[in-house]
Amino acid sequence: MVLAVENLSKSFGKNLVFSNVSFSVNKGEIVCIRGKSGEGKTTLLRCLTGLETADKGSIKINNMYLCKEEDNRIQYAQKEKLQAIRQEIGLVFQSFNLFPHMNVLENLMEAPLFLKNDSYDNIRKRAEELLNRLELEGKESSYPYQLSGGQKQRVAIARACMLNPSILCFDEPTSALDEQTRDQISKIIRDLASRGIAIIIVTHDNAFVDEIAQRIITMKDGKITIE
Amino acid sequence: MEAKVLKMLVPMALEGLKATLGVFAVTLIVSLPLSVVVAKLRLSKNKVISKIIGIYIYIMRGTPLLLQLMFIFFGYYQVPYIGYAFSREQAIFIAFVLNYTAYFAEIFRGGINSIDVGQYEAAMVLGLSKTHTFMKIILPQVIKTVLPSVGNEVITLVKDTSLIYILGASDILKAARAVSNVYAAFTPYIYIGVVYLIITAVLTRMLDKIESKYNYYR
Repeated sequence: MVLAVENLSKSFGKNLVFSNVSFSVNKGEIVCIRGKSGEGKTTLLRCLTGLETADKGSIKINNMYLCKEEDNRIQYAQKEKLQAIRQEIGLVFQSFNLFPHMNVLENLMEAPLFLKNDSYDNIRKRAEELLNRLELEGKESSYPYQLSGGQKQRVAIARACMLNPSILCFDEPTSALDEQTRDQISKIIRDLASRGIAIIIVTHDNAFVDEIAQRIITMKDGKITIE
Repeated sequence: MEAKVLKMLVPMALEGLKATLGVFAVTLIVSLPLSVVVAKLRLSKNKVISKIIGIYIYIMRGTPLLLQLMFIFFGYYQVPYIGYAFSREQAIFIAFVLNYTAYFAEIFRGGINSIDVGQYEAAMVLGLSKTHTFMKIILPQVIKTVLPSVGNEVITLVKDTSLIYILGASDILKAARAVSNVYAAFTPYIYIGVVYLIITAVLTRMLDKIESKYNYYR
C-alpha cells in the first residue's frame, strides 16, 4: 500500500467539501475518482498533494505521514519531511502549469537539480530517456507555447516522473484532448502503472474511467463509494 | 555668437552630463533590486509590514519629487531625534532612490500579482523552495511582464534628474541656463534638448533590445 487516507475531512468555511473519506491505493494500481463538478474531487487531490490542508484525518504516503490527527488536531509533517513526502507524490495539473520561460528539458530538470538528488549529467540523461519514452524526442529545446495540448501534457507527466514518485495524480487528464491523444495518454498511464507507480485520476469522463480504472471511487454529497 | 555659446556650453554640459548620468545610474542600480524587495514586503501576509510599505509608497507617489529633494536636504536635519544633515549628493541619491523604488515597487507588485497561481503550485508540488520559486520561476516571468512599464519610468528618470538644480547641483539643464543667461540666447536650451533626446533614443533602443530578448517565449 503506497497511499492510505483515513477519515479525511475538508471544508471551506461553513461549506463542507467532504467528510470522513477513507481509501487506500496499492503499488501499480490505477484508481479513478469520479463525480460531478463541485463534488470535491479536485480538492481531495489537492489535499493528497499538499496543495490544500485538510481539517481532519490522516494521509500516509509510502509509510510517511503527510498529516495525521494528534490530540484531536491535524498535524502536518515538518518542512524537511514534507519535502521528502512531496517527492513521493506527483501531480499533473489540468492546465499542465509548465514553466513558460523554460524549455522542455529545463522544465524537466529544474526540480531534480534544485533537490540535488543526482549529478547534472545523470539528471539530463534521465530527462532525455523520459522524453524518448513519451515520444517527445526532438522537443528538448522547444518552449511550452510551441507544443500542442497533448505534448504539453506529456511534458507535464515527464516533469512529474523526474522525481521518481510512488504515486502520480492526474487532474482531469482528458479534458482538453482529442480522441487520438486520449488513447496515447491512456497508454502512457498504463505503462507508468506497469512500472509500479500508483495512479490516481480525477475525472468526470466516464468513458475514460471505464476504459482505464482498476478501482473507482465515486464522490457524491461529500461522501465516497468504492467500486 | 553661436560659436561662443557652444564654446561655453560644451565643457559645462559635459560636466553636467556626469551629474545627470550619475544620478540616473545610481538610482536605477539601487532602486530596481530594492523595489523587488519592497514589492514582496507590500504583498507580505504580515499586515503591519504591508501597511508600513503602503504608507511609504503613498507618500512617495503623493508628493512631488522636488519637494522630497528639498525635504531631505533642507528639512530632514530639523526633525527631532532622527534628524541628520545630509550632504547635497547624499540628499539627491536618497530622494531619487526612495522615490523611484516606490514607483518600481508598485510596477513589480502588479507584475507579481499577474502570475498565475498554478506556477506557484507546480513549483510547490515539485518540492522547490519559496525563494527558489520566486527567483527562478516567478521573477523571470514578472520581468517580462513589467518591462514596458519599467521602461517608461526609466525614460522619466532621465528627465527627472534635471530636478537636482533645486539643491544647487549642476546638471546639463543648469549648464544651458547658465550659458543662456550670459548670452541672452535660447539656443543652449535647444542643444540640451537634443542631448536629452539622444539619451532617450539610446535608452529606448536598449530597452527594446531587452524586451526582444524576453520574446523567446509567450
